[in-house]
Amino acid sequence: MKQMTENQLQELAQDLNTIRDEVVADLGEKDARYIRRVIRLHRALEVGGRVMMPFGFIPPVFAAATLSLGLSKIIENMEIGHNVMHGQYDWMNDPSLHSQTYEWDTACSSDSWRRTHNYEHHTYTNIIGKDRDYGYALLRLSDDEKWHPAHSLQFFNYLLLSVFFQWGVGLHELEFERIRSGEIRLRDKLPFLKDALRKGGRQAFKDYVFFPLITFPVAPVVLAGNLGANLIRNLWSSTVIFCGHFTQDAETFNEKDCENESKGHWYLRQLTGSSNFTGNKWVHLLSGHLSYQIEHHVFPDLPAYRYPEISEKVQAVCRKHGIGYNTGTFRHQYGTVVKRILKYSLPDRLRLRLTNQPA
Amino acid sequence: MLARNTQTKALHWLGKQLFNRNDPAAFFDPLLEKFDPMLVQAYTPARVEQVIQETADTRTFLLKPAARWQGFQAGQHVNICVDVGGVRRTRTFSLSGSPRLWAQQGLVTLTIKRLPGGLVTNWLHDNLSLGAVIGLGEAFGDFLLPEPPQPVLFIAGGSGITPVLSQLEAMAAQDFLAPVTLLYFVRTQQDVIAAERLKALANRYSALTLNVIATHENDKPRYLNSQDLAGVRDLKARQVFLCGPKGLMDLANELLHQHGVHEKDIHSTFFSAAAPALNPDLANQTLGGHVQFEKSNLKASSEGDASLLEIAEASGLTPRHGCRMGICHQCSCRKTSGTVINRLTGQASGPGDESIQLCISIPHGPVAIDA
Repeated sequence: MKQMTENQLQELAQDLNTIRDEVVADLGEKDARYIRRVIRLHRALEVGGRVMMPFGFIPPVFAAATLSLGLSKIIENMEIGHNVMHGQYDWMNDPSLHSQTYEWDTACSSDSWRRTHNYEHHTYTNIIGKDRDYGYALLRLSDDEKWHPAHSLQFFNYLLLSVFFQWGVGLHELEFERIRSGEIRLRDKLPFLKDALRKGGRQAFKDYVFFPLITFPVAPVVLAGNLGANLIRNLWSSTVIFCGHFTQDAETFNEKDCENESKGHWYLRQLTGSSNFTGNKWVHLLSGHLSYQIEHHVFPDLPAYRYPEISEKVQAVCRKHGIGYNTGTFRHQYGTVVKRILKYSLPDRLRLRLTNQPA
Repeated sequence: MLARNTQTKALHWLGKQLFNRNDPAAFFDPLLEKFDPMLVQAYTPARVEQVIQETADTRTFLLKPAARWQGFQAGQHVNICVDVGGVRRTRTFSLSGSPRLWAQQGLVTLTIKRLPGGLVTNWLHDNLSLGAVIGLGEAFGDFLLPEPPQPVLFIAGGSGITPVLSQLEAMAAQDFLAPVTLLYFVRTQQDVIAAERLKALANRYSALTLNVIATHENDKPRYLNSQDLAGVRDLKARQVFLCGPKGLMDLANELLHQHGVHEKDIHSTFFSAAAPALNPDLANQTLGGHVQFEKSNLKASSEGDASLLEIAEASGLTPRHGCRMGICHQCSCRKTSGTVINRLTGQASGPGDESIQLCISIPHGPVAIDA
């Protein structure tokens, strides 16, 4: 990580706070109208998808229904749920858009998400050993972690995680790796498991039992379409999220360097530990503006569709302080993610010989 | 009946499973409100049917709530919600119409005065026109007429007349058989709200003695005084209802006690006034205050810049929290009243019901938290 003095860090914090203050002062009607429009789009896509699905025995209708429902889940999870739960719209004082009560359309319960993502991941971003989102305790993505023979198959694990992403996220808080190592007991996790089962069960009931059953004669079609919609969402959200912190130049940190850190140091860690990708308006919408992962990590509770305008200012601050700004096309960024997963699946000696470069 | 109840319960349960929310009916609101805002389920929508200019700064809005609204008793108030600049604002107003108007025509009225600097009252005056739809809560409040009828004295000031209007209409309609006196204080005769309605009431309801007193028409202000009360026949036998600015209420309470009226016979109600603007020089000196944690039924107080999270923890509570630096919103909860200062920005919050982050909110005077 770039070394900066406490004074420099303080100046960095001031510069970023100024950006934040400008946006907060300007929040209002425009932002409310945007999120309400997105919510309307979500409702239309979900209703459309559910209504078309029983007619899915006609192949083009099946494709349209599955895509519509898949898109609805993507938009609800990424641009609405994730962002609302960050408190981006708490200022609107609308009880249905409140960070602490919103429940999203995925297997992971919102309470669990608020603990593991909002708190752990956003506070301890990319600190190896503290940010369990770094590699999801499944993938080895830096040489901070010792190589183990099981890592050689991690690309296969990555594919599995992507396909079943909502269930992986839903069980993230179980901390299975710590149970296996005996660090904690399964018994300690019973309250969490109960909650996870209730929410996961509710999601499975809806998509895989209820809607197929009420359309009984065409149940297999509806079941297949709903599975397809969930799969589309799983693959897309996992891909977007992997591009946020596991690209080639996204940095990692160790616990010691971050003890009692200042706000400026926290900012620096967010700037250097995250990565963006470019795209058009729809790419940003469907990624919940996590395509602006850097801006999101610096200002997690500012309405996400403001990130494009914030980005200009953040880049200027990065230039001023000589801090790298990690961005590229979606293809390029995802390419480096895949390379990173493959690279670190190899034992260090082999990896270093093949890539011929340290770390 | 039971069957129907079970059915709705089962439907509600199913709705919760399908839409992941405790008010599943509101899931379709974003689509429905595009067709007709009166279909919204998240709150009871009410459409503006007529706007009456009462005085230069007071208007009466005639509203038609959706049929599921439960009705009200004279003297009660309601919360309304409107989105002002993207922010949902909730405010309480008295219902000024008669319950009969609701029963017969399904209409209610709110009589609202522009408060200087008031965010919502000014917005309502500037934006709420014919056909607009606002959210309405259920009626509440115990500023109710005595049952069975007893002699009554109303002392109202300015827009404090609104619940009294509703009560007088109700009394006239049921021919409330006891002497009724209204002492109505206004700045000038031009400021009399609902002058026509009051005149008509005085004409058709013979038990009513109407006394409108202008406070600021002469060089010296003319406030409520002992003679006003001495002029009320059988004062000690009356139920007294007060509604007006704080100065009037305090004065009335003091004079009533001097005249031997019992505390239990005096009823006061909510009256809204613009919150005084925060003096930035004072902000630093007056940080801290009494904090009430309502759900835990716990009171605490603080001095200086302790955050609400620190105050709660010092009092033995364990509120949900995360980063303790204003990032993660784990500790967000509802403030029901009072003002807090945001530690990061130094900005003061509004006085009303809103969501705050405990870890970066410093009480500024008394604060009540729904936690």
